Amino acid sequence: MDNGRTTADILMIDDDRDLGAMVSDYLAGDHLKVTVANSGESGLIAFKANNFDLLILDIMMPGMSGLDVLKSIRQTSNVPVIMLTARGDDVDRIIGLEFGADDYLPKPFNPRELIARIKAILRRSQQQPEEDKVLELGQITLDTRTRKAMVSDNELRLTGTEYEILKCLLETPGKVVNKEYLSERALGRRLLPYDRSVDTHISNLRGKLEKGGNQNETIQNQRGIGYLLVPGT
Amino acid sequence: MRSLFLKFFLSFFLVIALMIGAAALIGFLYGEQLQKTIEDFEVGDSMKIAAKALETGGRAALLKWRDGTPRDDGVMIFILDDQGKDISGRRIPFTLERIYQRLGGRADELRRSNTKEIQNNRLSLFLPQLQAPSGEVFTFLVSPEAFWANQDIRVLLLIFAVLISGSVSYGLASAFSRPVRKLRYATLSLAEGNLDARVEKSVGKRRDELGMLGRDFDAMADKLERAAIQMIELLGNISHELRSPLARMRVAVELARRKTGEMTEFDRLDQEAERLDSLIGQILSYTKLEADSQINPEEIDLDDIVSEVAENVNFEWKQDRVVVKSSTINASIMGFRGAMLGAVENIVRNAVKHSPTDSKVIIRTSVNSTDAQIEIIDDGPGVPSQDLERLFEPFFRTRQSTEADANGGAGLGLAIAHRAITLHTGHIEARNRDRAGLVVTISLPIVD
Repeated sequence: MDNGRTTADILMIDDDRDLGAMVSDYLAGDHLKVTVANSGESGLIAFKANNFDLLILDIMMPGMSGLDVLKSIRQTSNVPVIMLTARGDDVDRIIGLEFGADDYLPKPFNPRELIARIKAILRRSQQQPEEDKVLELGQITLDTRTRKAMVSDNELRLTGTEYEILKCLLETPGKVVNKEYLSERALGRRLLPYDRSVDTHISNLRGKLEKGGNQNETIQNQRGIGYLLVPGT
Repeated sequence: MRSLFLKFFLSFFLVIALMIGAAALIGFLYGEQLQKTIEDFEVGDSMKIAAKALETGGRAALLKWRDGTPRDDGVMIFILDDQGKDISGRRIPFTLERIYQRLGGRADELRRSNTKEIQNNRLSLFLPQLQAPSGEVFTFLVSPEAFWANQDIRVLLLIFAVLISGSVSYGLASAFSRPVRKLRYATLSLAEGNLDARVEKSVGKRRDELGMLGRDFDAMADKLERAAIQMIELLGNISHELRSPLARMRVAVELARRKTGEMTEFDRLDQEAERLDSLIGQILSYTKLEADSQINPEEIDLDDIVSEVAENVNFEWKQDRVVVKSSTINASIMGFRGAMLGAVENIVRNAVKHSPTDSKVIIRTSVNSTDAQIEIIDDGPGVPSQDLERLFEPFFRTRQSTEADANGGAGLGLAIAHRAITLHTGHIEARNRDRAGLVVTISLPIVD
């Protein structure tokens, strides 16, 4: 990707102007073009007017909060979102992932970590579609060409991360997929200590499968190892 | 009663006055009765019969005269020999015996003493003496029978006294001590950190001085609670405000690194920023715990928590430092998963940090009908016993704080754990092991 030209358009929504400018500077060094919006409202306008590859979204903003922005964006778009959460605030993190963020970074973050996360997610979302494949298990169908997941006839609205996790699980139904592997495949990064994002994504995925009408297949937790999708009987 | 003062004053005053009055009245009436008995006594011709009996049958007949027929005039008669002792061995009051001795048993003197002594409330009369054919002289002494025989009235009086004063004292004492005990429990609870301890529903309802004390206690507790909350909020706000400049600083460091090329100082800057960052993170999770409780509690499987913590910590240290040494307990609690996980994690990480790298930290779980226990046992140096109690205070460092503390967190890990466990109405304590190491025990009320 580092071939000297812009590889991705990123929208950063953060009320800290200076931080936005500096991050913009910093990411420019990695050929990532950053547009900064300083409020939820202006961010939403900017988002609608342009076509961004990725969003960096600060959760704690006065006025329209990051969560509101996320909710609004998710109604129309599956653009990858990395949210910046308050360190030590699990609630923000969990709700953010529930609302469809792809990954999160506690603020203050290590800028190199931010780049790593951005690249991981871009890599995943920009990867060429693999050969057409339809994965099926019970009522669940996943089409890799259209990137659509269905329960019976209902299409599920999955974020990129949830889609990847479901795909991993569907590739080996009934077998445990460990968390490290899920993290690398779905988030594009190594699992970190005390990193519960995979678990949160799994629990959101569970909820969406259930809401979609799936009753038979269950995602089970294998304590200390990972998760498996158990076929219905 | 409105006032404790009045209650005490009136209770004591009434009981004492009542007892003294009753005792005086009973004594007076009783004395009257005895006096009447002795005044009403008439010798009649009984002395003649006695003289005849003595003449014919001697001592034995005399005794038969006295004890043969029950008397109905409420007196009893003593027959004294010339030694001043009753001939059948009845005990004579010491004072009467002394009078007898003093007057040398002379009949006229004894008789004369009657008038004088009755005025002095001596309720006995000396009767004329009789002489036996053998020459023995017998002195007759008469006394109200009740005075000697009837002890019941005194026992009754005693019981009455004990009952009245006992019940009033009991009522007074318990009326006083019950609210004081409640206040005391509330104080202890407050001291233990339950800042919501109040007495308004119990002691605070009273209208006496204790009620006032109770309301004052509540007011004080309110202030303490507010101060504690403000302190935590302040801490949270400061940390929150520190975050923005720190975030900018971290980006600035990276920008500088890019512009000037690698310098070891940048790594140092980065490392320090990381440390500040983790400190702020700890403070914020400490201050955020309360906010966590605003969301709905869920059922949490403790086996899950324990194994996830072990897994996470082992993952962090890239070796198996933590061993769960007990079978699953299948116990759940109601609470907040994140906070619970953080609590156990902080204790376990702390244990790992303070124990030799080749040792294992053991987690042991157990459960009884009401509570589940999680023990975290390490092989570290333990904690000086005088510091054990303060171990869970924020920013507390033991006197023998090690390198590990200086490099590690801010001394907040255990405080976070304590707060989280308290939030779950659980209990956490630390004790030293017999030889070396520390045991931290968490107990939590389970759900069925």
